[in-house]
Amino acid sequence: MSQKPVDVLVDPIVNNNPIALQILGICSALAVTTKMETSLVMALAVVSVTACSNLAVSAIRSYIPSSIRIIVQMTVIASLVIVVDQFLKAFLFDISKQLSVFVGLIITNCIVMGRAEGFAMKNSAGISFLDGIGNGLGYGFVLVVVAFFRELFGSGSLFGITLMELDRNGGWYAPNGLMLLPPSAFFIIGIMIWVIRLNKPEQIEEA
Amino acid sequence: MKPLRDAFDRVHPLFAKGGILEKAYPIYEATDTFLFTPGETTEGRTHVRDGIDLKRMMIMVVVALIPVTLFGMWNTGYQANTAIVQMTEADVPIEYDWHNTVHTAIGLGHDPGNFLDNFVYGAIFFIPIYVVCMFVGGHVEMVFSVLRGHEINEGFLVTGLLFPLTLPASIPLWQVAVGIAFGVIVAKEVFGGTGRNFLNVALTSRAFLYFSYAGDISGDKVWTAVDGFSGATALGQMAVVEKGAIESLSQVQYVWGETGEISWMSAFLGTIQGCVGETSALLCFVGALILIATGIGSWRIMSGVVLGVIGTSLLLNFVGSETNAMFEVPFYWHLVIGGLAFGLVFMATDPVSASMTQKGKWIYGILIGFMTVLIRVINPAFPEGIMLAILFGNVFAPLIDYFVVQSNVRRRVARYAS
Amino acid sequence: MPAKDSVPGTILIAALLCVVCSLAVSAAAVALRPYQIANEVLDQQKNILDAAGLPTDEFGKPASELSKNEIDNLYTWVSEQMVDLDTGEENNEMDPTKFDLVESATDPTLSTEIVPDPYDPGEDRRPKTMKVYFVRKNGEGPIRQVVLPIYGKGLWGTLYGYLALKSDLETIQGITFYQHKETPGLGGEVDNPAWKAQWNGLKLYDENGEPAAQVFKGPAPDADPYSVDGLSGATITSRGVTALVQYWASEQGYGPFLKKLAEKMQQESAEADTASVSRPTNDLSAEAVRRAPLLTDAARNDTRSNETRLSDTLLTDTLPNDKLPTTSTMKVGA
Repeated sequence: MSQKPVDVLVDPIVNNNPIALQILGICSALAVTTKMETSLVMALAVVSVTACSNLAVSAIRSYIPSSIRIIVQMTVIASLVIVVDQFLKAFLFDISKQLSVFVGLIITNCIVMGRAEGFAMKNSAGISFLDGIGNGLGYGFVLVVVAFFRELFGSGSLFGITLMELDRNGGWYAPNGLMLLPPSAFFIIGIMIWVIRLNKPEQIEEA
Repeated sequence: MKPLRDAFDRVHPLFAKGGILEKAYPIYEATDTFLFTPGETTEGRTHVRDGIDLKRMMIMVVVALIPVTLFGMWNTGYQANTAIVQMTEADVPIEYDWHNTVHTAIGLGHDPGNFLDNFVYGAIFFIPIYVVCMFVGGHVEMVFSVLRGHEINEGFLVTGLLFPLTLPASIPLWQVAVGIAFGVIVAKEVFGGTGRNFLNVALTSRAFLYFSYAGDISGDKVWTAVDGFSGATALGQMAVVEKGAIESLSQVQYVWGETGEISWMSAFLGTIQGCVGETSALLCFVGALILIATGIGSWRIMSGVVLGVIGTSLLLNFVGSETNAMFEVPFYWHLVIGGLAFGLVFMATDPVSASMTQKGKWIYGILIGFMTVLIRVINPAFPEGIMLAILFGNVFAPLIDYFVVQSNVRRRVARYAS
Repeated sequence: MPAKDSVPGTILIAALLCVVCSLAVSAAAVALRPYQIANEVLDQQKNILDAAGLPTDEFGKPASELSKNEIDNLYTWVSEQMVDLDTGEENNEMDPTKFDLVESATDPTLSTEIVPDPYDPGEDRRPKTMKVYFVRKNGEGPIRQVVLPIYGKGLWGTLYGYLALKSDLETIQGITFYQHKETPGLGGEVDNPAWKAQWNGLKLYDENGEPAAQVFKGPAPDADPYSVDGLSGATITSRGVTALVQYWASEQGYGPFLKKLAEKMQQESAEADTASVSRPTNDLSAEAVRRAPLLTDAARNDTRSNETRLSDTLLTDTLPNDKLPTTSTMKVGA
């Protein structure tokens, strides 16, 4: 288990992306990606939770009794998520309102749990921290790409700044309503996976 | 034909393996086999279900669609002209666009009693939609064929005609282009091209438009090719009343202040507003006869859908509801309004996305009929159900086949064991 | 220390973990609570101001684009009041800052059942007392607008919003929905500013005093003072909005309160008329100036002279909002 720190950090972004390759954490990727702003905040929240939970779990891994290790990981993750949620409510209220329950649902996000159990329990604190950041970024990368298309085509704007004036406001762009509905994220994630696997055939699963 | 054949043979080396235009072989091949019967015959055990050539099969579907298409053009013009005459009388402002400019340039008027007026005005609406659809869809397909080096299939001829027929005549052309491009890429090419799509391509395109630009395809002012017109479709009308769904059809409100009537006969013949090709149940029935006679469309699927619709609507009639008038709509109305007839004949029977086993086809058909009525009656958001029901059926088709095959296997195993 | 996989070790670790985690969580919750409350209040204030149309009138943009300071300043124009819906009397025993709409609407002791006849908002219960908002320009005696919380079923869920009435209590100033689940592009168009703008100036009641404001089916006729355009392709949302607006305007909703309020305002204006000579307008506007630092000197003079005009006309007839003289003066300061 000796991996280069850079690989641990960068690998999950494209090569071993938690959403695109492992198909984890899809639920929130559908729900929060109508706008760039919300998905960026969501991505940051997940990065901080995965990084901190990996760090914490790894730091105490030699003290965790194996019989309750999942419960311990859950407790650590849940506490971190609540703290993040509280921070968002206090300082980014509008966004936290739009994210609604999905911040809380980071607790059930398989990526966080998966990294804690799969990586942090076996590796030292420093590299686990990097792994958490990397996986959070991998998740965030997909979120931001999905949100880019959904906000651009669904609302004609990016980060709330209008790029294509909507027809209902006297502009020319007829917004695509499907992009505002969750299923559109499926299409975009699907197409992303298609593009990634075209370029990286080794990711294609055996049929 | 001989000189043409020679010309093809002369340029053939250019496109063959190693030729300078090797990449463009699919384009050459498609043109060649469209005009001439292909020289190659299939080898090996490929004829699992039928020996018929894919291309001839597709052409037959197109032939079956011709009555519906021609009638659709006439009806589009007829509905538009009727509305124009009525609106002019009632002094409701009409905004004409280029369609009308072309129409008057030909020297035709807006008399709903004149066959030519109706047909040409409808054609001026329908043909651009069809051309855009074929052009964009065909090119998307061509790009993928060239990239992947497989042959262009005539499958798109059918999709490219089915899709425009399911659209309202007033749909903006750019939406046609976006819709068909999405359908071809996401429903077909992603899964490997013709024959590998598990969803019906035309319906996927339509569903995309339906959810993306709902205001233009499920709104209340799109069903007639006149700007400023507003009226509800039969299903839309029934979905909003609390009691007396069928009675309400005798008082459909029009913008010129009158009320019109949708009778069962007019719904059956198709002289009502609706998407271009969907209104006439009668001509869909003619299409069904052609498809069944040539063995292309499955009569099992069609009967399954009809059975599903009848069964479900009888059940809902029996259950009844205080607040939802759709519960009391009898099955013979369900069968003639909306796109049900069109969908069950031409969409549900799509051999690629439907179930393949004989028993599976029954189940698949009944499932579609059941879902259609269920969506129409119970879902408050979507007055029409056949499109979503067929896509739903498409998704389940492989699973249905799997269970049918498994049960067959089990039965045989049991038989041999004894 | 006991071995980590032994029973005492497991319990010890679990206990330690619980203590540490609960400390962290409660520390964050307690420390951040004041910020969160401030945010929630601010958010609600923005919605109310938007319904009343004040941010667009004064700053030319919606409340979401204003700074906290600007919101705070604008909100000094708004006062909150609890009202008993059945009697229409003001209820001064309840603390308006403690009011929670969803909680009051579900709690059986705080709410009554909704009778779905003749107006059916699609909900089961409504609070017995509601919080309403009065908009007065600082220092102005008479009420300029009343903002009423409203809610009712749309297609996919409950629409929560505010309905603002002009000072005649019969004309709508604006409507806004701050929470709903309608389909984007169809029913979701209740958020469309162009559509919401149509509500401005709509008559809430017909000649007989019955609720009449409605969402038309299709484009509304030009001459119809009671109708806005239907939401294209969203029949059920449109019908829901009509039903909820009419329900809350009816006798079962704010009807009694609005009647009492109209009587009271009539009385006050009569008193104000007789007392207008001795009325200490200067003190009041001085107060206004102190509390609204947005005003320049020039504007201050304007407001003072307008004030008397306003109080004379405001109650006898509606002032179209764009004609309110303060609008231009505020912009100078802003």
